[in-house]
Amino acid sequence: MAALTPYTYIQCPCADPSTLGHPSGPNAPTDTDADEDDRTFDPRAPRSNYSLYPLEYLLYCEDCHQIRCPRCIAEEIVTYYCPNCLFEVPSSNLRSEGNRCTRNCFQCPICIGPLAITSLETKPNPGLLAASDNTAAPHHGPYALTCSYCHWSSTEVGIKLDKPNNVHAQLARLQNGGATRLTGKERKERRADPSKAQDADGRRRGASRDGQDLDLETQFTNLKTFYQSQLADPESSDSGLAPLGDLGYSSPTSLSRIMHLYTGGGRQDKKAKSRVGAMREALGSGEGLQLAHLDESAAIAALQAAGHDGTASTTQLLEQPPHLGAAHPHGSARLAASLRPIPYLLRTKRSKRCPLCRHIISKPEAKIQTTRFRIRLVAGTYIPSLAIRALSLSSGNPPGPAAAAAAGGLLDPLKPAHFLLTFKNPLFDPIKVTLGAPAATPGRFASRVTVLCPAFEVDANTDVWDEALKDGGGGERDKERGGRERRRRKGEDGGGSGGGGGGGGGQNQLEVGKIWERGRNWVSIVVEVVPASLQAPVGGGQPGLLQEDEDVLEIPMFVRVEWEAEAGGDEVGAVVSRDREAKEKRELAYWCVLGLGRIRQS
Amino acid sequence: MSKRAPKGEYIETDTGNKVARKATLVGTQNIMLGGKTVIQPEVMIRGDLIRTIQASSQSASGAAPNNTAVSIGRYCFLSRGSCLRPPGRLYKGAFTYMPLRMGDHVFVGQGSVIQAAAIGNHVHIGAKVAIGEFAIIKDYVRILDGTVVPPNMVIPSFSIVAGQPARLIGEVPEGGHEAFELRSLYKTVGNNPHPAPS
Ligand SMILES: [Zn+2]
Ligand SMILES: [Zn+2]
Ligand SMILES: [Zn+2]
Ligand SMILES: [Zn+2]
Repeated sequence: MAALTPYTYIQCPCADPSTLGHPSGPNAPTDTDADEDDRTFDPRAPRSNYSLYPLEYLLYCEDCHQIRCPRCIAEEIVTYYCPNCLFEVPSSNLRSEGNRCTRNCFQCPICIGPLAITSLETKPNPGLLAASDNTAAPHHGPYALTCSYCHWSSTEVGIKLDKPNNVHAQLARLQNGGATRLTGKERKERRADPSKAQDADGRRRGASRDGQDLDLETQFTNLKTFYQSQLADPESSDSGLAPLGDLGYSSPTSLSRIMHLYTGGGRQDKKAKSRVGAMREALGSGEGLQLAHLDESAAIAALQAAGHDGTASTTQLLEQPPHLGAAHPHGSARLAASLRPIPYLLRTKRSKRCPLCRHIISKPEAKIQTTRFRIRLVAGTYIPSLAIRALSLSSGNPPGPAAAAAAGGLLDPLKPAHFLLTFKNPLFDPIKVTLGAPAATPGRFASRVTVLCPAFEVDANTDVWDEALKDGGGGERDKERGGRERRRRKGEDGGGSGGGGGGGGGQNQLEVGKIWERGRNWVSIVVEVVPASLQAPVGGGQPGLLQEDEDVLEIPMFVRVEWEAEAGGDEVGAVVSRDREAKEKRELAYWCVLGLGRIRQS
Repeated sequence: MSKRAPKGEYIETDTGNKVARKATLVGTQNIMLGGKTVIQPEVMIRGDLIRTIQASSQSASGAAPNNTAVSIGRYCFLSRGSCLRPPGRLYKGAFTYMPLRMGDHVFVGQGSVIQAAAIGNHVHIGAKVAIGEFAIIKDYVRILDGTVVPPNMVIPSFSIVAGQPARLIGEVPEGGHEAFELRSLYKTVGNNPHPAPS
């Protein structure tokens, strides 16, 4: 069983609809807190998956004073761009051209690697080397799209290009095999001017016999115009399919007639009346009728010739853009030879809003080349980060189970193990942290949990300038400080006098109510766990087969953070007690899950 | 905890680069280091693979040829066994290498081979990754272990990619930007390493 690096997931308050609307200030009702204490959050419950996130994925609304997660924020698209050529696509183009890059950016239909445009006659022309600066000059057509990963080439599906640019437009008029196909514009012209259609048919080697080779787009537009004309003419009583006319299966009004039968009041004379408005179905290819090719012998023969390797996988078919394959879906796109180069899907830059107050909590710069954000309220700058590390208590003795876990091992059942939780305060105010964890983990296998120090204070974060100064130049001070910290970690210097501000005495003792270690803006505490035996489920009985990840020791923990913040310059919705004093009390409480490791089976 | 490196394992330069004595840097005059970059043992950088054809604008103006084969920004971290190799191709009928440029705060995992044309700032490349020739990797990109990035692939900012060939599997969240910062990692190696922050 693979080892597991310890993790912390935080539950977004949107998982609990009752807390979503309430800012967790001092004025927030406290009666819900009592409920909260009673009810233990089960990280293994199926719904929990949808509300647990690593800290980096969480945002924070400064107006609601609440955590926001990818599930509860509202996104707005700022910019569309192609991930390959990195050109911005205006949203007006999006409506007309679709959500894919219309430049020269394509992905391999076999392996999704990027496709490059290469000349099929790579004849190096040394004469041009000095003469011209134009890189395209020494190459001549025809060109092909080739994959630099799996070496697929568009020549395998019979696609060659005349020009190395404007590939999207060129591909739009090429079928696999090289035959031309009509573009949307040409189809429109063809419908408008039937004489031109004759020309086009002639060019297409007379293949277009009636009812034969409608491609998907043509069929759709034909059907659409046909139905539109039918809707515009409700008096049309020609049912089209005369032999079936009496059954009326082809008529949309038959549905309303059947509904009428069921809702009561169905009369014989009403039937005749409804038939007046019946619509008929398409009769020819001009109206979009496409006869299914029920004879599949050609497809079977092709399959026999190509073999399993020549067929397209489900993933490959899923990657194919819709409506770009020229052929009709009946029996097509089963073979790899019918796959088309995939134009890149556009990507977006998105801004994010708080679902409650509608304030923007994340907004990137619109320009593609910049990675800056105008607004970026991430939870990591408001709530303490939590790091987990296995703690080996016996430095000289043979390594205990915790040390084994640190080395990527497993937790031994029924043997106490210790973990160090380090809370780091990102705020410039000191915070008071209160932790709550159930004595036994929920689920079939109850591991015992003891948080040795469930309430403590963490000093304020200092200004970024201090850190910057510490980084640059001050090498001596840096080393000195590093040395001191190292000593403190080893437990030689219990005092920690003035080291990072606020040396709490009695460090590095496994004692209830005492913190393990303290730094400038962080505090480490110890959690003791006795992993459950995977042989003995709660309530007795046979353990049976373990469910997925049931051997992972996960501790639900309720974290409450309280601090006093500067009240000045506050926004709308700030707590009422502004003029009472300069500081106001803030509180934030949430569930989180600590994943400590896997318990040894056997 | 990692064991203490023996004294003098690294050469520390004036600009704060820490280059392992057991790293192989070929053609050092063509390798530019921005400062505070860590190069671990068994790393190979091929500075000898310089461009053989100069850009015509340069040769026309008569300026001194720019022979930089590999340029690396500040706070980069090249892990043990990784290799930086400038990409090469046919250019106007003749084969030439092109420079490999790397921005600031780029982490390269153990045993990875990089032949990209450009790597931006704040990029994390995992272990055993192969980055094909002329790939372009923008800022804030995370490439997971074992990924094979095909030649010429462009990876836009805030992408998380994995697989063979590489495909987009996620986006770097807003709160994940700070994790690319390599300042503290820089301090944990060298001849007087500081312990890793807990
Ligand atoms: Zn949420
Ligand atoms: Zn593009
Ligand atoms: Zn391919
Ligand atoms: Zn809000």
